[in-house]
Amino acid sequence: MTHIVVDPVTRIEGHLRVEAEVDGGVVKEAWSSSTMFRGIELILKGRDPRDAWVFAQRICGVCTTVHAITSIRAVENAIGAVPPPNARLLRNIIMAAQTVHDHVVHFYHLHALDWVDVVSALDADPAKTSTLAQSISDWPLSSTSYFAGVRDRIKAFIERGQLGIFANAYWGHPAYRLPPEANLMAVAHYLEALDFQRRFIKIHALLGGKNPHPQSFLVGGMATPVDPDSQAALNMDTIAALHKVVADGLDFVSRVYIPDVLAIASYYKDWTTIGAGIGSYMAYGDYPESDGAHPELFIPTGIIHNRDLSKRDTVDHGKITEQIAHSWYDYSVGDDKGLSPFKGETAPHYTGPKPPFERLDVAKKYSWLKSPRYDDKPMEVGPLARTLVAYNAGHPSRTKILVDKVLASLGAGPEALFSTLGRIAARAVETQVLVENMGRWVDGLADNMARRDYRIQDNSKWDPSSWPSDCFGAGFHEAPRGALGHWVHISKGSIVNYQCVVPSTWNAGPRDAGGQPGPYEASLVGTPVVKPEQPLEILRTLHSFDPCMACGVH
Amino acid sequence: MSKSRLTEELEHRGISRREFIVFCAAMAAVLGLPEEATPAIAAAVETEEKPILIWLEFQDCAGNTESLLRAGHPTVADLILDSISLSYHETLMAAAGSQAEDVLAKTVREHKGKYIALVEGSIPTGADGGYCTIGGRAALDIAREICGNAAATIAVGTCAAFGGIPAARPNPTGALSVADAVPGVRNLINMSACPANAENITALIVYYMTLKRWPPLDQYRRPMFAYGKTIHDNCERRAHFDAGQYVEAWGDEAHRQGHCLYKMGCKGPATSQNCPVVRWNEGTNWPIGCGHPCVGCAEPNFWDTMSPFYERLPNVAGFNVGSWIDPVGLGLTGLVAAAAALHGVGEIVRHRVGLGPVSEDGSET
Amino acid sequence: MSTLSHSGDRDGGLERIYVWELPVRLSHWLIAVSIVVLSVTGYYIGHPFINVPGAARDHFVMGTVRAVHLYAAWIFTAALIVRIYWWFAGNAYARWTDFIPVSARRFRSLWNSMLFYSFIRRDPDDYPGHNALAAGSYAMIFAVYVLLIVTGLVLHASEVPPGSPFHVFGALAPWFFGLPMARLIHHVAMWVVLIFVVVHLHFVLLASLIERVGTFESIFSGYKFFPRKKPR
Ligand code: HEM
Ligand code: HEM
Ligand code: NFV
Ligand code: SF4
Ligand code: SF4
Ligand code: F3S
Ligand SMILES: [Mg+2]
Repeated sequence: MTHIVVDPVTRIEGHLRVEAEVDGGVVKEAWSSSTMFRGIELILKGRDPRDAWVFAQRICGVCTTVHAITSIRAVENAIGAVPPPNARLLRNIIMAAQTVHDHVVHFYHLHALDWVDVVSALDADPAKTSTLAQSISDWPLSSTSYFAGVRDRIKAFIERGQLGIFANAYWGHPAYRLPPEANLMAVAHYLEALDFQRRFIKIHALLGGKNPHPQSFLVGGMATPVDPDSQAALNMDTIAALHKVVADGLDFVSRVYIPDVLAIASYYKDWTTIGAGIGSYMAYGDYPESDGAHPELFIPTGIIHNRDLSKRDTVDHGKITEQIAHSWYDYSVGDDKGLSPFKGETAPHYTGPKPPFERLDVAKKYSWLKSPRYDDKPMEVGPLARTLVAYNAGHPSRTKILVDKVLASLGAGPEALFSTLGRIAARAVETQVLVENMGRWVDGLADNMARRDYRIQDNSKWDPSSWPSDCFGAGFHEAPRGALGHWVHISKGSIVNYQCVVPSTWNAGPRDAGGQPGPYEASLVGTPVVKPEQPLEILRTLHSFDPCMACGVH
Repeated sequence: MSKSRLTEELEHRGISRREFIVFCAAMAAVLGLPEEATPAIAAAVETEEKPILIWLEFQDCAGNTESLLRAGHPTVADLILDSISLSYHETLMAAAGSQAEDVLAKTVREHKGKYIALVEGSIPTGADGGYCTIGGRAALDIAREICGNAAATIAVGTCAAFGGIPAARPNPTGALSVADAVPGVRNLINMSACPANAENITALIVYYMTLKRWPPLDQYRRPMFAYGKTIHDNCERRAHFDAGQYVEAWGDEAHRQGHCLYKMGCKGPATSQNCPVVRWNEGTNWPIGCGHPCVGCAEPNFWDTMSPFYERLPNVAGFNVGSWIDPVGLGLTGLVAAAAALHGVGEIVRHRVGLGPVSEDGSET
Repeated sequence: MSTLSHSGDRDGGLERIYVWELPVRLSHWLIAVSIVVLSVTGYYIGHPFINVPGAARDHFVMGTVRAVHLYAAWIFTAALIVRIYWWFAGNAYARWTDFIPVSARRFRSLWNSMLFYSFIRRDPDDYPGHNALAAGSYAMIFAVYVLLIVTGLVLHASEVPPGSPFHVFGALAPWFFGLPMARLIHHVAMWVVLIFVVVHLHFVLLASLIERVGTFESIFSGYKFFPRKKPR
């Protein structure tokens, strides 16, 4: 038995620590801990609910819009504000842009180096790389001289002796399996994706003034005025700019991201049998296609229990609770109980070892993450959950078509989706589906302008005197990493209680009172570890969830 | 790097020497330097040893890291491959766990007093360090070691610069800014804003590499080139402010026409930063440009002193003074006037009943 | 003095006493007028209730109001400096010692005035300068003036270029927890001043109509009238 500690887990957002028992080259047990707490739920108490989104947004600068939108939905739900159609469309575009951006950055900059050996790329033959690249995509940046240029740039960089962010990694690790040509192609795309993400997220600047942390949300709508006849509003120039960036995005995702995922996956097919985890998946659904209280959702909602793709349960938000048996908090009702978010408590109480420390005492409390449970059961949330639910629902139909294509290229059946590689594939499929639909929402905005519908905000609920003196609201969203909910209790115009139950909390949370592990912990069990002192495989499965600890703990 | 090597490398990247010089000139303009500085910038970018940077994350949201990824000139790829050596950055680095911590220890050992520390996020002091640990070490401990041995420390974002959101009321974790957590830290520069603007971060790095010194700072240790003027002073809506043209409701005619957001709570008059000039995401837009008020994100304690964000005056410790001061002020003035009138009546009565002061001639007034 | 009017040495006639020297009267009126202007313009800055239509280039409402506020603020500040100088250079009634009830006599005056205004005492305190109650309120209001000026200067500093001498007041912003709090304090202080003005006018009118010592006229002419007193 070897005890492995990975802290910090890098190439993620935030502070994640994983401890694992490895025996016979395989993980036997694992514990996931997040080691940073800020207390934003506590900081929100007593504030103006209309300000809450600005605070909540700072939970995370990576999935930067998601807490803003969820906060606004929760407050709107509480006070009864109804955003007009333009606001719905603007939010859909912003949400989709966020997810597409996040997924591309995750794949190339946070995850790829688990599969791609940068040093091996130096041995690549640019001509062969060019042949490989052209065999999988008609992306124009694929000439021999282009790849030679990238190789030489990396070579010059390495020869200069200052390796920077590439220093001391796992280069040459036996678990790397790509040929040098594939490595070189991936490195080239790592650099291209850096440029792409910067251009693509200008959608947020166009509609929200800046990114990260766009600043155009409002309880009741959006602050971006819409008027084709004004230069100070969202006008036809904006519509054209949005279409341009979306087209650019579609291009990159379908001609670079998707082919790269398929190409890399083809060398790592065994990872379709590793990293499944708990096997129950939940999606709240999102992207309202119509207005009002019960809109049709573009991304469907549902629960898949125990890897059974033939059935889809409905989500009852009332069954959500959070437990803290292994988390550094106190509950007034007792630490072995679960609390529903409307009654949720955040009373931090650190009982872990005094730093500096070597090991956590995992028999006791060992994380700042709580353990969210649905009907007392852990759930995996995220792109895979959404894709499985959509696959079962048969809608959007594109999801099923694309998933089947991916499975065909891997020569595997749907059960291959319950895996580390399944998460990566689902994320790519979802990116493609979303980027294909963004143009539709942009057109929707233009259509509304044609009808002279310039409304962006429900001003009737702006003044707190129009609110019930005591009210509760919940807001839900499919963030890049999964199902996100905020719950708010408002009394006399200010926040009394605020609770966020976040995708990375669902996925990364510790064991609950009954000893059930969270999805990270479960998925690591069975993961091979060839060299315990270089736990590359552990990173692969962890990264397949796209961990975000600032979200998870907040 | 020798000139020829740089030229070679630029060629590989399809960048001509001319384009490179144009970039350097643009950089000079951002920094407000004379045109003659261009060759100096070019020379600086071409130097042999790349400056070593260590980026630490504590109580952060990684927003400043993401912001850095949005840098347009130079881009982050240009920066990390050509201009600087980013030795440690948890979100971007390939190594993890002890391999990552080894890099950090080695960098500090070998480049003590020479590297530049960048800090993102505040530093908690509560729970004996338990609110933020990395590799089992407390954030405060790491900050003191790494910033204490740095040639300079750049606090990136309002959390690191001023405590930011973790330090907002009631500051549950005892979060501190770098300045407060590491007293006496050398050459501290606060690049505030939530997050700091990528163009300002890169401009600061280029400033240092080019001029071999740190820029003049304002009273909050922020570089004058980015924080020397208020938002309000450079705002494109300023003409409407001065004219007396204000947005009164979201989406109204004034809002669509780009009138001033002052009455919607804009904190531009109280906030110093160059947002209206450099804007965000390579000059695409900025918060006020998209119709939402400035919330003052570059200022110390803005979470407490600039909120409620949609009201002009702050909410002091739960007493939302700004929202009631005028009715209450007017009411009190009225009350006092009424009391004065009553008192006057009292005085008149006292005279009528002959209890007033004795007048000069002895008669009762 | 109250003993005078009480005990009945009433045959001396009226004595004309020069209480308010020119700098006191001048600063009083400059301050009074500028406060009215500052309050009206300040209120507008806080609540721009005029929303003008048309092109921005055709209007300068807020710009004008702010300019007037600033000019009035300079007049106000200058007048206050004159008055504070006169605390040390002026006659006994103008001196700082008259504003702070430090001596036993001033304390008695404070007490007497309070009793008089609460209808408990029949005669007003009859010191020719400010009675101690009024003086106390003036001392307080002078402090508020200073607060207004300092917070006003802090706000002003944020809009002048770094080269301006007024830029240095920006360094005081942290004293007030930043500009928004400085604004709030500035704004609240305005109401304190306005409440003072109401009380002040009441007592001035009262003193003139009831006490009949020429208080009202004195701030124009400088003289008050008192029954002729025996040498003390
Ligand atoms: C009796 C004296 C004064 C009164 C009653 C007064 C009143 C006010 C009020 C009510 C405001 C608006 C505050 C808000 O809600 O934003 C204001 C703003 C201001 N005042 Fe005064 N003020 C006085 C003296 C001064 C002085 C002596 C200065 C010195 C320079 C000054 C400079 C300013 C400035 C710069 C502003 C901000 C204007 C802006 O942001 O556009 N004030 N004043
Ligand atoms: C904004 C309005 C006003 C303010 C802020 C104000 C303030 C003051 C202050 C601070 C003093 C003390 C003078 C000193 O020793 O320097 C004073 C004295 C005096 N003021 Fe005013 N004043 C105002 C308006 C007026 C008006 C309208 C009148 C009468 C027409 C008036 C009549 C007097 C008189 C008679 C005194 C001397 C009172 C005494 O004997 O204690 N004031 N005022
Ligand atoms: N987990 C998480 Fe987030 C996302 N997606 C949010 O809710 O990453 Ni920063
Ligand atoms: S300053 Fe803002 S963007 Fe930066 S870490 Fe803090 S909350 Fe995030
Ligand atoms: S929008 Fe804000 S910053 Fe711009 S002029 Fe108006 S108050 Fe000033
Ligand atoms: S909110 Fe921040 S980004 Fe600029 S416009 Fe205001 S300082
Ligand atoms: Mg929570």
